[in-house]
Amino acid sequence: MFGSSGSRVLNVINISYLQSRSKRVWVRKPLGSPMAKSKIFRITPKPVLPEDEKAEIKRLFDNYKNSMKSIRQYFFEQSLKQAESGEVAQMKHRLDDQEHERLMEENRLENEKTAMLRQERLKIQAEKAQQNVLASLIKKERESKLHEIQIEDFLMKQMSTPFIQPENIEKAIEDALANPVNFNFALDLDGYIYRGKDTSIDTIPEEKRERLNSN
Amino acid sequence: MASAVQTFTKIGKVIRLNRHGCTNRPFYHIVVQKTKDTQDGPVIEQVGSFDAMPNSQNEKLVALNLERIQYWLAQGAGLSDPVAQLLGLSGFLPNHPRTLIQAWKNRREPPRERKIEAIIGIAPPLDNPKI
Repeated sequence: MFGSSGSRVLNVINISYLQSRSKRVWVRKPLGSPMAKSKIFRITPKPVLPEDEKAEIKRLFDNYKNSMKSIRQYFFEQSLKQAESGEVAQMKHRLDDQEHERLMEENRLENEKTAMLRQERLKIQAEKAQQNVLASLIKKERESKLHEIQIEDFLMKQMSTPFIQPENIEKAIEDALANPVNFNFALDLDGYIYRGKDTSIDTIPEEKRERLNSN
Repeated sequence: MASAVQTFTKIGKVIRLNRHGCTNRPFYHIVVQKTKDTQDGPVIEQVGSFDAMPNSQNEKLVALNLERIQYWLAQGAGLSDPVAQLLGLSGFLPNHPRTLIQAWKNRREPPRERKIEAIIGIAPPLDNPKI
């Protein structure tokens, strides 16, 4: 009554849900429905087993479960061993080794290529560096020579200026005392210069006036 | 689960009997299936057969692919009771306790009065209480 209500849908992976119409599927009785009249006063006889039989059954089952556990473990270990030594595993190992070798070879070639490029680059850099160093050295030499020449010029100039040596000192003093230099001057609006401290305009005639040249 | 992430729960595999054959003539395939699938659902591998009806030589024929059974047991497949019993009787596994229990029960109780006679030693014991 409850079982044939609608056909069951099969749960199949990777395929759309299929319908199964061949079997009548067991469906439990709805929870709210009452107990059937034929079953209301039914008392099911409880199966009674003597103690020794129970013990025997337990012993048998314990032994069986024990041995089944160990057998399963053994099978598992055997399968692992077989997997390692089997053909498939060996072929896989061989293929892996080949692949490894190929990759190592590729790597080596690549390294060589980059090494070549690196060498060239380094060579070029070394040359450039050498040239730079040479140029800088030459420059330094030139500069030092120039410097020396400049020093020479300077020294000559210094030497050529009339320094007062210890021999000339008395003469220099007499000369200085004899020719006093007066830096005072005055300027005219017309552009004439009158040197000396105590010069007055009247003492100098017009022709002998100095014209201040603005150079 | 609220999230859309797929969860991969490990579904156990079982070696059990799938009933094929016709009405009143069962024929079982010994089969490896996922526990969740029903008896007539998808099967991973067939690993033997069991004919419950005795043939003309009074034999119940059982076929077992022991190599594959060993493989699946190594992979962690479970066994149903009848399959375990058959494997025990064949010698591949230790004898199932149920075999011994059935045997001593059969010896102990005399069969009750039935309208239909069961052919002793050939046909399976009748368990329909209405007959």
